[in-house]
Amino acid sequence: MKRIIVLLTVLLMGFLCFGGISFGQAIENELYLITPVSKDVHDPALKAFAEYAKKKWNIDVKTSAIPKGTPVAYGQILEWKGRPQADVFWGGEGTLFDNLAAEGLLEQVKIPQKMWDEIPATIGKPVGLPLKDPKKFWVGTTLEPYGLIYQPKLLQRLGVTIKDWDDLLNPKLKGQIAQCTPDRSSSSHASYEVILAMYGWEKGWEWLKKLAANTGIFTARSRDVPNVVAKGEFAVGFAVPSYMAFAEVLAGYDVMFVYPSNAYVTPEPMAVLKGAPHPKAAHAFIEFLLTEEGQKLFAGLGLYPITPKFKVQGPPGSNLEKTVQFTAGIRSFYDIQVGNVYDDKIAGPKKRIEEVNSYFRKEIAEKHKEIIKEK
Amino acid sequence: MATPNESTMALSQPRVWARANIGGLLGYAAIWAFFAIFLIYPLIRLFYDAFTTDQGVFTLVNFYDFFTDSYYLKSLMNSLLLGVGTVITTSVLGIAIAFLLLRYEFPGRNLFSYLTIIPMIMPPLVGVMGFVFIMGRAGTVNVILMDYLGFSKPINFMYGIHGVLLVETLHLFPLMTLSIVDALGKIDPSLDEAAESIGSRGLRKFWDITFPLTTPGYVSGALLVFIWTFADFATPLVVGVDNLLASQAYLNIVQFVDRRLFKMGIVISAIMVILAIVFLIIAKQYVAIKDYSSLSYSKIERKKLSPWSRTGVLVFLVVVLVFAFIPYFGIALDSFGKGWALTPIPVKYTLRYFERVSIETPKFIINSLLYSGLTVFICIAVGVPVGWIMARTKVPGRDLLDSLTTLILALPGTGIGIAYLRAFREPLPFLNTALIGIWIVIPLVLGVRRLPYTVRGTFASLLIVHKSFEEAAESVGATKMTTFKDVTLPLIWKGVLVGSLYSFILALQEASATLLLVVPGHEMMTVGIFNFYIGGSVNEAAALGLILIILGAVCLFAISKIAGTKMGGVFG
Repeated sequence: MKRIIVLLTVLLMGFLCFGGISFGQAIENELYLITPVSKDVHDPALKAFAEYAKKKWNIDVKTSAIPKGTPVAYGQILEWKGRPQADVFWGGEGTLFDNLAAEGLLEQVKIPQKMWDEIPATIGKPVGLPLKDPKKFWVGTTLEPYGLIYQPKLLQRLGVTIKDWDDLLNPKLKGQIAQCTPDRSSSSHASYEVILAMYGWEKGWEWLKKLAANTGIFTARSRDVPNVVAKGEFAVGFAVPSYMAFAEVLAGYDVMFVYPSNAYVTPEPMAVLKGAPHPKAAHAFIEFLLTEEGQKLFAGLGLYPITPKFKVQGPPGSNLEKTVQFTAGIRSFYDIQVGNVYDDKIAGPKKRIEEVNSYFRKEIAEKHKEIIKEK
Repeated sequence: MATPNESTMALSQPRVWARANIGGLLGYAAIWAFFAIFLIYPLIRLFYDAFTTDQGVFTLVNFYDFFTDSYYLKSLMNSLLLGVGTVITTSVLGIAIAFLLLRYEFPGRNLFSYLTIIPMIMPPLVGVMGFVFIMGRAGTVNVILMDYLGFSKPINFMYGIHGVLLVETLHLFPLMTLSIVDALGKIDPSLDEAAESIGSRGLRKFWDITFPLTTPGYVSGALLVFIWTFADFATPLVVGVDNLLASQAYLNIVQFVDRRLFKMGIVISAIMVILAIVFLIIAKQYVAIKDYSSLSYSKIERKKLSPWSRTGVLVFLVVVLVFAFIPYFGIALDSFGKGWALTPIPVKYTLRYFERVSIETPKFIINSLLYSGLTVFICIAVGVPVGWIMARTKVPGRDLLDSLTTLILALPGTGIGIAYLRAFREPLPFLNTALIGIWIVIPLVLGVRRLPYTVRGTFASLLIVHKSFEEAAESVGATKMTTFKDVTLPLIWKGVLVGSLYSFILALQEASATLLLVVPGHEMMTVGIFNFYIGGSVNEAAALGLILIILGAVCLFAISKIAGTKMGGVFG
């Protein structure tokens, strides 16, 4: 009897502590992200969510993002040890999310089953890139290819067209390519792995050395790549996330984007952290991003819907149509052949990452001048 | 940068001790505490980290790795070569301009002497950005060459180490001019005349008389130019040069993926600090004899020039200035131009970028002014007493204080930034946050870095004020405090103000230590410029850069009004 009373008291206290705070309210009035996704995207997403919450529940949600690079964000979440100061982790590689789930630091995503089912499990052949976690600990939010950006006016002058990877090796492009190094940029790293997977280790590096021979600048940060191309300083940029390239279009520059075969496509995974201070808002945020409204928002920023039923389509001259124009006609990644050779089992382990980085440093970065002279 | 001549110190030690009261001692102790906590401790911490493993075991492996890595060694070589190269180019320009301004009369001389100082106001990154807009592969010059003059390929002015050299030269030659003007200004013209009277003219006279007498000033200018170039990582990164020490230190520190690279970043910073100290010691060999007591400027007869040479001088100065002002044109155009690419000047113009960086996010400007203001406050609170101690007392430790202030001038910003990162990352007592998590760290590090200018300014002014004024006041019963307030301060305020304004301008522009130490949410203008730039918003970076340049120019104008031609003094 005594034991039951104790148990009941504990249950009641638990209920008061955890259930009581948001009792009767649809979502909490705060939401914090920790994310490597750039401000170009996370800012509009948070703003749109705040409007959505106001309309739907008449709640003013205060939102904020802690911008951190992927590894730093990951380290920070481990450091919080289940008492996070953010609600949602957004962006980066799926493996990191799997690791966090294994550590018990993620909560299962709560969205309507129909919405969940509408997202395909994987995209791309022969290796499927997972778009959601079968155990429901994370879900992809959008499709973001790491492709090539070019300056049409400069390419025309050079008499070059860019359709696929190999076009980058055209001798006419000597000194015209901008790229960031794989040890400073995750998009560059993933694209190096794609090349290595396509051609094999030896021939892949051969190819990458030829690319280096045409490379005029290794930028300090990946964000500089679309920047110098937009300005016309360099004609082509390698391994640029589509939204970064599109940000230049929105800023008034004339640039185009190419999605080359087998290019890496990230679903920008999202997960709710276990022990999140505002779990309901977190789940609502994910649900919002996967609605038509959310997917449209992404499409207006140079990203593609993750749900096959949505296509990028809007009134002429709208940002949605600009996205389509910018990729020379892609309206959905489910309409086109998506190849993928990037295998997380090969490219994911830390040892492999360091191996690629140090090979790059020894054989390309340190010998860049000689490579340019030889080729 | 020298131990002042002993003969200018008349106060003997016993008298100081006899008069020293508890307050004075406490003040002196406080100054030492400031130096110990904010300069000595971080540097020790940096070296500790460089010489130990992550577990805290002593090791030389880090240095072994550095000196056996061909890439790092090449970076070291490149950095040294770039530094020496910049010293040579700035010397040629700086000395020529200093001579012209000081020794010859020509129309617009006063205007030129102001304009040739201006290029110094160039926040890191802004200068190189401006150059790329005008002289990059798609810059104005190349677009004109290709679109109108039939060039098939752009000329590569910028990308590569020659671009860095160009930017640094046109940015730093005023430092050299100032040092030389200062040194030349102190040479008694009678020496010149004496040389001429015995038939020594032209190069011979320059070599025998002028050169030895200006050497101390020149060496200190050269050291500043060298260290500045040595520590700059922003400029090389924009033009795709990363095999330099400062760039390597920065890149290794800001990546968090590889612990080993992070450690090497610390090691590189430590090596940079060690090298800076070595250079300082070498430089000291040359400037130790420098005599501060002749700080009063001698009147110089300016020679009139023949019409032809006058034209030559004007053409030379105008050409140099056009080149030196290229970044200002570039920045101004880009801050108003929308979507500017592959046309000589922007096609569309907007005020949007200024609106965004000032009205929408006023924090950059507010924080910059606030932090630089606090920096000046720290500089005065610490620097004026230090200057006074050095000029008027012989307390033990005075020479060490002098060496430490000089050392600060030579310390690369990247090095001190990383030292702070390592030293102040533990939570403070009674608080949950570490010092590097609180914005006050910015004015503190800036205060330390800019302290020497106030110290020098105070010191130099005090030497001109004869002690007898103070002694007279004291003999009629004024306390030391009152004497200082009523007699000394009114006489030296100009020097202190000029030193402080320098500290202010240079604090506004600092972007090496602060870039590493900035606390999110408390960004200043330089950090804003950097963040906008790497975030892809070049126009906003340019707009913020232009505002910063204008602020700097206003301060510099104020200095030149207050100080007249004596601007060089603080750099001694």
